[in-house]
Amino acid sequence: MKNAFAFFLFIVLTLSASLPTEASDYLNDVVRANGLYAEKHYAESAQAYESLIKKGMQNGYLYYNLGNAYIRMGRTGSAILNYIRARKWIPRDENLEANLKFAIQQTRDKIELPPAGTLNVLFFWANDFNFNELIVFAISLNFIFWVSLTLWMCFPSLKVVRNALLCFLLLAFVSIGVKIKNESDLKLGVVLAENVEVKSGRAEDAVTLFQLHEGALVTVTGKHDSWLEVRLNDEQKGWVPQNSLGT
Amino acid sequence: MKNFSATCAALLSLFLIPALSTLSFGEDISVTATVDKNRLTLEDVLQLSIIIQGTQNTPPPELPSLPDFRVTAAGTSSSTQYINTQRSVSITHNYRLTPMNTGTIVIGPSRVRANGKTYSTQPITIEVQKPSSSVAPADRAAFVEAILSSKKAYIGEQLVYTFRLYHRVDAKNLNLQLPFDKTWFNKEDLGEPKSYIKVVNGIQYHVQELSMALFPLKKGLVEIPASGIELDLLRTTQNRSRQDPFSRFFNDPFFNRRTQAEHKVLRTQPLSIEILPLPEGAPKGFKNLIGHFNISAELGKRDLEVGDTTTLTVTVSGKGNVRDISFEEPDLKNYFKIYPDKPEFSQTVQNNQITGEKVFKFALVPLEAGSRTLPKFSLPYFDSASAQYRIAKTQPISLNIKPSSTKENLNLVQSGQQNVAPTKPEIETLGRDILPIYTELDKFKSDGSYSSTFIGAGFGSPVILFIISAFIIKRQNRLKYDVAFYRRRNAYKNASQRLKQLTEHSDSKEFARQLSEILREYIGDKLNLQGKAITAEEVEVRLKESNYEPVKAEGTRKLLEKYETLQYAPMTRGSTKELLGESENMIKVLEKQS
Repeated sequence: MKNAFAFFLFIVLTLSASLPTEASDYLNDVVRANGLYAEKHYAESAQAYESLIKKGMQNGYLYYNLGNAYIRMGRTGSAILNYIRARKWIPRDENLEANLKFAIQQTRDKIELPPAGTLNVLFFWANDFNFNELIVFAISLNFIFWVSLTLWMCFPSLKVVRNALLCFLLLAFVSIGVKIKNESDLKLGVVLAENVEVKSGRAEDAVTLFQLHEGALVTVTGKHDSWLEVRLNDEQKGWVPQNSLGT
Repeated sequence: MKNFSATCAALLSLFLIPALSTLSFGEDISVTATVDKNRLTLEDVLQLSIIIQGTQNTPPPELPSLPDFRVTAAGTSSSTQYINTQRSVSITHNYRLTPMNTGTIVIGPSRVRANGKTYSTQPITIEVQKPSSSVAPADRAAFVEAILSSKKAYIGEQLVYTFRLYHRVDAKNLNLQLPFDKTWFNKEDLGEPKSYIKVVNGIQYHVQELSMALFPLKKGLVEIPASGIELDLLRTTQNRSRQDPFSRFFNDPFFNRRTQAEHKVLRTQPLSIEILPLPEGAPKGFKNLIGHFNISAELGKRDLEVGDTTTLTVTVSGKGNVRDISFEEPDLKNYFKIYPDKPEFSQTVQNNQITGEKVFKFALVPLEAGSRTLPKFSLPYFDSASAQYRIAKTQPISLNIKPSSTKENLNLVQSGQQNVAPTKPEIETLGRDILPIYTELDKFKSDGSYSSTFIGAGFGSPVILFIISAFIIKRQNRLKYDVAFYRRRNAYKNASQRLKQLTEHSDSKEFARQLSEILREYIGDKLNLQGKAITAEEVEVRLKESNYEPVKAEGTRKLLEKYETLQYAPMTRGSTKELLGESENMIKVLEKQS
C-alpha cells in the first residue's frame, strides 16, 4: 500500500509540474499591450500581442485582443485570421463571435464561415469545447471510470454504473477524435493581401480564375512549394501564393 | 349403307353451303342506292340503303359528301338466296340521314370497291321541306316548344328558358340538344325535368319539361338558336289483312297490334331577346346585384362586459345572384375586435326562380365600456321588376357594454393577423462596432496545449492504480478464502515467532520435541498438510514433489530424525543452542526455496 501511495504521489507531482504556470513577465507584457490598446496605439499594441504569441504564449483572449487591434488598424484580413485562431481556444465566447461577424461584414467578399459537416452536427458539442477542455473532460471521465471498475470488483451491483461510464468515456474519446479531424481537415485561410488573383495553376502566368479581397475566407486544400490550393465552394478553386494568405 | 351415304351427303352440304356462301361464283356485281322516301321535312329522318348484289366481301361503301345531312350508320344486313339452284348473295349498308337544311338535295353516287373494280350508285334527288305549318300541333304525334320568360331583360337578370316535348305516343331514346352561347349567357340548371299531362285543343299529351336559368352577360339583341331533340316515336298499328284465314282466326287486337318505331328530329323555333344595359344612377356601393333582396341583422347578446363575445349575424335573402353578395367588416375597430366567420350560402329553386340566402357572422369583442349603436348594413341592388335601384338596409342595433368584472388585460389578436408577432417598438441601430478587448489577467493564463506526458499520465495513471488496487483486492480475497495460501503466506512468520519464543529449555527432550513440532508445522503450512502427523520420510518425499532441492529435502529429513533421537537422549546446554540455530537456518533455507 505504501508503494501504491508513493506512486500516486509521483503521478500528481508530475502532472502538477507539467501544468502551465503563470509567468509574471508574461502578464506584465499583456498589461502593457492592453494599455497601448487603451491609449489607441493600436499598431504598438498589436506588435506587443504578436511578440507574446511569438514567445509561445497561446491564449484565446490574446488572439482576440490582437484581432481587435488589427481591426482598429484597418487590417481586416489579419483581424479575421486572429479571431479564427482565437476560436480554437475560446469557442464559446460571444464577443469573439460578434467581432468575427463584424469583421466579415467589413470585407468586400463577405464570405461566411463554412457550414458544419454531418459529423459536426452529430457531435455538436465538440465544436463548443476546445481541445484542452475535451482532454480534461476525458481524463476526468477516465479516472471516474477506473474507480468505478475498482469499486465494481468489491460491489458487483455497480455493473450498470460501470457500463454507463464506459459509454460516456467512449463518447468522450470519439469527441476528441472528431475535434482532431476537424482541425486537420478544415484548414481555413484568410486573404491578407488587399487583392489576390486565384490562378488555375501554380504559376504567375496561369489563368486568373477569380479574384479575392482582403479578409476573404477560403478552405486550404493543398500546398505545393510556395503555392496554396484554395477552395471557395464545389466549383471555385485554384492556387494562390502562400504569402497572400494567412492560415 | 344407303342411309350412311345420305347422312354423309347431308352433313357435307351442311358444312359446304355456308362455306361457299361468301363466294361469288362469278356472279355479276351490282350496287344500288335506295331511300325510304324522296320527300321529307326537317323533322323526318331519311333511311339510305346501299345494296351490293353478287358479293359480300367488300369494304364499306364510300359515301358522297353530304353537308346537308347528319349521317349516322344504322347497321348492315346480308342475304343469300337459292332459286332453282341459282345462288345469289347481297349485303346492305344502312345509314340514317338527318336533314339539316331545306330544299332539293341531290345525294351523289356512293362508291363500292369489289374484285378490283369500283362500282357507283345512281344519284338520288331528295326534297326537304319545313314541317308543314298547316298541320296543327295538336294533330301531330309529337311536337316541341321553347319559351323564354321574357323578351327583354337587363344584364344579370334571371331569365328562364323552358323546353317542352309534347307527345301522344310513346317516345324513346330521347337525345336533347339545347343551344347555349357562353359569350352571352351564364347558365344554371333549375332542377330535374318535369313530366306531366296536358290537354291541348282537346287532345291529351304527355309533356316533358326542362328549364334552365340564363343570366345575360352583355347588352344587345341576341337570338337563342333552335333546340332540337332526336327521339323514336313508337306507333302502334292494326294489321288490316283480312285475306289470311289465320288473321280471321286470331281476330284479336292483341295479335293484330304492331309497333313501329319512327325516328324523328324535332326542333323548336329560335327565340330572340333584347338584353338591356343597367340604367344610369347606380347608388354608391352598387356591386351588380340584380333581383330583389332582403337584409336583416341580429346580435346575440346586447348586454355584455368588456372582453365578452357576441355574434352579429347579417342575413341576405332574395331572388337573384345572392351568391355574389359580400360584406366588408363593419367599421368598429376602435370599439370592438372583429372576427369574421366564413359566410354560409344556400340556394333553392321555387317556380323556376332561383332564390338564395347568405348568412354573414361576425364575432364582436368589445374593448371599451359604454353604450354603442352598431351601424346599418346596406345593400344596393337593381330591382329588375320595377327597373329601379333600391337599397336594402338593416335596422340599427344598440348594445350596452359594462366594464369587465375580471380585471384581466385583454390580449386579443386581430383576425387575419393571428400569426403576426405583436409589434414592438424597434430600436434603430445607429452604428456598429467591435466589442472591446479583454483585460482581466486571469483570462490570459496560458492555454498552451497539454504535453503528451500529461495526457499519457492522465489516461494511464488510473489504469495503473486500478491494476494495483485489483491486485490488492484479489490478494485480500485470497487470504480470506484460500486456506492453503493463507497457511503458506504465514508459515514462516509463525515459525519465526515460535522459534523466538522458544527458550533454551532445561529439559532437552521437550526442547527437541518443540523444535520438531515447529519445523513440521512450518512444512505442513507450506505444503498444506497436517504437519504434526507427518513422518520424516514423508516430509522428504513431499518436499521433493514440491520441487524443493533434494539435498534440502534430505537435510530436513535428517534434522527431523535428529529431533526424534534427541527426544530420547540427553543434551547439553550448548547443543540446544546449536540445534536452535540449525533449525532456524533450515527454515530460512526452505523459505528461500518456496
